[in-house]
Amino acid sequence: MKNNWEPKIVAFLCHWCSYAGADLAGISRIQYPPNIRVIRVPCSGAVNPLYILKALREGADGVLVSGCHPGDCHYLSGNYFARRKFFILHELLQWVGIEKDRVQFSWVSASEGQKFSQVVEETVEKVKKLGPAKKLVKEFTFHV
Amino acid sequence: MFEKEIRRKSEELLETKTVDMVIGYTSGSLPFQARPVLISSPEDTEQLVWNHFSSPNLARYLLPYRDSSKKIALLAKGCDARAVMVLIQEKQFPRERVHIIGLPCPGMISKTKLEKELGEIKEEDFSFEKDTFLWQGKKWEIFPFLEDTCSRCRYPNPPLYDELIGEKRELWGSSSTDYLEKINGQSEEERWQFWEEELSRCIRCYACRNACPLCYCKECFAESDLPRWVSGVPTLSDNLFFHLGRSMHLAGRCVECGACERACPEEIKIGLLPLKVEMIIKDNFSFEAGLSLEEDAPLLTYRETDPGEFIK
Repeated sequence: MKNNWEPKIVAFLCHWCSYAGADLAGISRIQYPPNIRVIRVPCSGAVNPLYILKALREGADGVLVSGCHPGDCHYLSGNYFARRKFFILHELLQWVGIEKDRVQFSWVSASEGQKFSQVVEETVEKVKKLGPAKKLVKEFTFHV
Repeated sequence: MFEKEIRRKSEELLETKTVDMVIGYTSGSLPFQARPVLISSPEDTEQLVWNHFSSPNLARYLLPYRDSSKKIALLAKGCDARAVMVLIQEKQFPRERVHIIGLPCPGMISKTKLEKELGEIKEEDFSFEKDTFLWQGKKWEIFPFLEDTCSRCRYPNPPLYDELIGEKRELWGSSSTDYLEKINGQSEEERWQFWEEELSRCIRCYACRNACPLCYCKECFAESDLPRWVSGVPTLSDNLFFHLGRSMHLAGRCVECGACERACPEEIKIGLLPLKVEMIIKDNFSFEAGLSLEEDAPLLTYRETDPGEFIK
């Protein structure tokens, strides 16, 4: 059972860079693990820290957030604001004892199909090492 | 302490119509307690008290008057004044409508700690002096009886005031980082165990949020239906979500008044989470909330040199 376990990873990709990077990886037929579920967002700055917590609560084993390289943001500075938020969240999660590799961040540009596949491989590998997420995952669901 | 001066000043402010209302403290319904009181006629100023139990953050009580035209005088300890500063900066209250009576804080005493150490106690047996008190003919140091949140106080003196009653005081010597260091030094598993134990006690009464002077959203994310971030059931994961989310919302805004922690009926060390966030911000973005009216909040600005090693 445990050997067959594959992590589920939610990937928030910014529309202008990382999503296009993933697209490039696709059209260039670059292989990467199929563990990620992509959610396209307008900008990494639009990723509310609550999205990340929510993904973990809903049962994701890992979260990847990826945006444009600093200086390359389509909205000029969205990723700089994002970097501050993510830094705080990342430190806080570690401090309450949640494994630091559960939530990972990367900058991938639209021309970096190869880098995108490497980032996903690395992310999946690190999450696999941690095993299934238990902390923060909701215990049961209410149907309303 | 300075009760007489406070009463006289409030009376004067109300009589001269400098302000329409004074927000201060009066005796609580139980001993060793003070509760907030709103006073609008000069003769009621007799009710005002100021002692080691005047702990609620009064900045919280400004918010209902945001859209009125009342001018309000507020008794402010260091943390209250910092909270008012954040409110002014966030345009939740205009500076010209608040008259801050600054009170250097003598340190708030925890009733629980008194009872634990001294057993059965009566209010009339105590006489408080500066940093000490007399009880049963013996002199006791105040420091061990302070609320945790107050013993780690970094700003007992109000950074912003229209007038100051009393003398500025020194720090207690134990710093806020002492509390965090204890946890910082632990392994990931130990930290998780600590927070698991603390937060599984949370009953999600939201007393922490309601006591917080800076949690003023009309609809809290914890109670929002669309999107429904978190269920109202106090399971560990939902509690953790709520407190982490709240800490993130307070990032760069928390003034470490500890009102949340003192309000907690389960005595969860809930003030440590926003405090940790404040320390992360202080160390990395060199910003502290509620000390300046000009400086931008840390999440509303950025530097190109911000730490980025954690990003691949």
